[in-house]
Amino acid sequence: MIVATINSETLRESIETISALVVECRVHFESDQVYVRAVDSANVAMVCLHLDRQAFIDLDVTPGEIGLDIARFKNIFSMLGKAEKVTLHLPDKENKIKVSFLGYQYAITLLEAATIKKDPNPPNIELPGKIVIKGSYLYSAIRAAAVVSDKVWFGISPQSKGFFMSAEGDSDHIRREFSSEELISVNDADVKSLFSIDYLKEMGKVLSNADEVTISLGDNHPIKFSFDIAGGAGHVEYLLAPRIEAE
Amino acid sequence: MNFLTFARICKELEGISGRLDRISFLSKAMEECSVEDLPSFIQLLMGRPFPDWSQEKLGIGPNLLYDAVAYVIGRKKEDVIETINRIGDVGSAVETLMAGKEQMSFFQDELTLSDVHDALITIAGSSGERSQRDKTRMIQRLLSDASPLEARYIAGILLEDMRIGIGEGTIRDAIALLTGTDPLLIEHGIQVINDIGQVAILARTNRDALQKLTITLFHPVRMMLAKQGTIGGALTGFGSVIAENKYDGARFQFHTDGNAGRIYSRKLEDVTDALPDVVSLLQEAAAGHTVILDGEIVAVKEGRILPFQNVLKRFRRKHNISAARDEVELVPYLFDMLFLDGDTLIDSPFTYRREKLEAAIPRFVAPQITGSDKDTIELFYHEALDAGHEGIMLKNPGSRYTPGVRGKDWIKIKPEVDTLDLAVIGAQWGEGKRAHLYGSFLLACREDDRFLPVSRVATGFSDEHLVWLYNELNSSVVRTQGKDLFFEPRMVFEIGYAEIQESPGYETGYALRFPRFIRVRDDKDIDEVNTRSDILYRYFQQGRRDNNAC
Repeated sequence: MIVATINSETLRESIETISALVVECRVHFESDQVYVRAVDSANVAMVCLHLDRQAFIDLDVTPGEIGLDIARFKNIFSMLGKAEKVTLHLPDKENKIKVSFLGYQYAITLLEAATIKKDPNPPNIELPGKIVIKGSYLYSAIRAAAVVSDKVWFGISPQSKGFFMSAEGDSDHIRREFSSEELISVNDADVKSLFSIDYLKEMGKVLSNADEVTISLGDNHPIKFSFDIAGGAGHVEYLLAPRIEAE
Repeated sequence: MNFLTFARICKELEGISGRLDRISFLSKAMEECSVEDLPSFIQLLMGRPFPDWSQEKLGIGPNLLYDAVAYVIGRKKEDVIETINRIGDVGSAVETLMAGKEQMSFFQDELTLSDVHDALITIAGSSGERSQRDKTRMIQRLLSDASPLEARYIAGILLEDMRIGIGEGTIRDAIALLTGTDPLLIEHGIQVINDIGQVAILARTNRDALQKLTITLFHPVRMMLAKQGTIGGALTGFGSVIAENKYDGARFQFHTDGNAGRIYSRKLEDVTDALPDVVSLLQEAAAGHTVILDGEIVAVKEGRILPFQNVLKRFRRKHNISAARDEVELVPYLFDMLFLDGDTLIDSPFTYRREKLEAAIPRFVAPQITGSDKDTIELFYHEALDAGHEGIMLKNPGSRYTPGVRGKDWIKIKPEVDTLDLAVIGAQWGEGKRAHLYGSFLLACREDDRFLPVSRVATGFSDEHLVWLYNELNSSVVRTQGKDLFFEPRMVFEIGYAEIQESPGYETGYALRFPRFIRVRDDKDIDEVNTRSDILYRYFQQGRRDNNAC
């Protein structure tokens, strides 16, 4: 059984976070938190979303998991209007979750959890580079890199203690150096990795709303973006596997 | 079985050329396969994921596959298409692309044969507005767990074109060798249940049950086919013949258990929804019986028989069925019965089956005559032509019903028209008012599992035909080369021609003179196109005819 009432903006933010990478996922409900761990269909990008109890106006659940068609669930966003809160209700042994807001009751058929890709285990890897940056700066730089290429380098130059992103196109090149004034913090690890812009663009839309995004970076290693949502009651981590340079 | 093992078997088979060596290798490979995996092993090897009676279809065009490959390797779809154009074979190109994958992934799960088969079932089952999205996602999942070699054969399976040259005959003989079963018994099992995977299981686990197989209702059985011949030849071969009209209609098979009735096309597709009028006529006629009937549906308007295309239009129809039903009346003609009230009849003589058919079904039974007098049969033939039929069928009275076999027991007699059924394997962009459509088509005959180009055709098409063909074929484009496009072979054209000439320009060594499009044979499967040896035979016959004329 699930009864959860949540601020509509928090719900929208949470769903957008997941839909950047996957169209369906398992959502785990526990008495003190709700979480999702999902990986895209090519096993390249992962999302981990945690919502504490405080992110909900009301949360009363029997611990368990449901299979959610994210693309279908997003239908409700076009109907929400000025609704401030949304209530999710799933009675025991039912396969339709009722979503109520502003007098609407929208019943969404759940997916068989067994048909959804298993929750991934985030890799346990050391990523020495740490950068803390405003999300909107990051998203702007991703979009700029997309103009010239479909992949972008992320790196820290230890001498200048600066974080940079650079993209190499067939004929053009673009580089964005972030000054220390633009960064909240950066360490001096000597790291550099290459990533696909397609994934970054999707993550970037979500990241752009975060005041602080912590980037963890290695050398030819995955990248991790961590940030809070729901006024700190929710936390998101995106992980993206690197590309290797074509010879 | 791991899918990687399966992929290695496929790779090895590609390098074995002798038939006996292939059979022996395959039978050893099957021995290592668990009984549960045997059906998927066999079906995937043939590039036909589901049993022949099944209505499940993958419905994956090359573009869907290219999108998924591009996503998994982290490249643009154009790069994928460019590699395929360069290499010329989708499977090898996918293998090359996967080997040069620039995008790393977090993990790869080991794929098993049943993982792949389950994914194919999910793909076939996805329908509605999200089906393309769901199919793409399933393919991405498969490819992201696949090694380059596995990806090569996943691509082949998805496009139902394995290119390893393993046909049903080789599999049948490998099962026979593995289990020590008579190949004829295996063949008979396949004919009865139309499911080679299940036959393999029975041959391995329960030979007794294999001997006692009966037809399963609502699992369509392949149609028995006829060879072209002469009245004299048939009389010499059979002594006495049974002659029936050869209707210019569409072949069908009807199954009913007394409550529900389903109707299947020549390609064994369930066309029940498109033909509610025929289903109810047959349901009524077969009331009180559980039967499987074989026959031909003819279109009639104001008492006149309409050409075959009118029936096919109805078979294809998905919408506005009742309006179409009012326009053209469809009449079934029944000429055989395969199953009656629990008894499988295919092994009984034709005369016995016919007797049972007449006794059980009071209406729609096709008229026939029996005789051994050439003049009488010739008269029957001319009467059939005058009545608007295609010709006549001559059947051996003592023959059994052999599903899927184009044997010597059914002979079709029709006026000699030089036509061939050929696979459409490519096209060239048109010019002028045909600039955005295909202007000519590249046609191929079959040799074993390969399609060999034999002609191009550019005449005989109406503008509507060309628009329709463009819409039907544009999702089948496998690669392009300048103005030329190459299709995954899926469509069959009936082509008229003046004569067959020797030609070094085509791989077959022969070309058609004055080829002309007659119609799309969408009642025919791509495997049923004419073979290179048919063309050779016609070429030599033609020489003989010309000499005689002199």
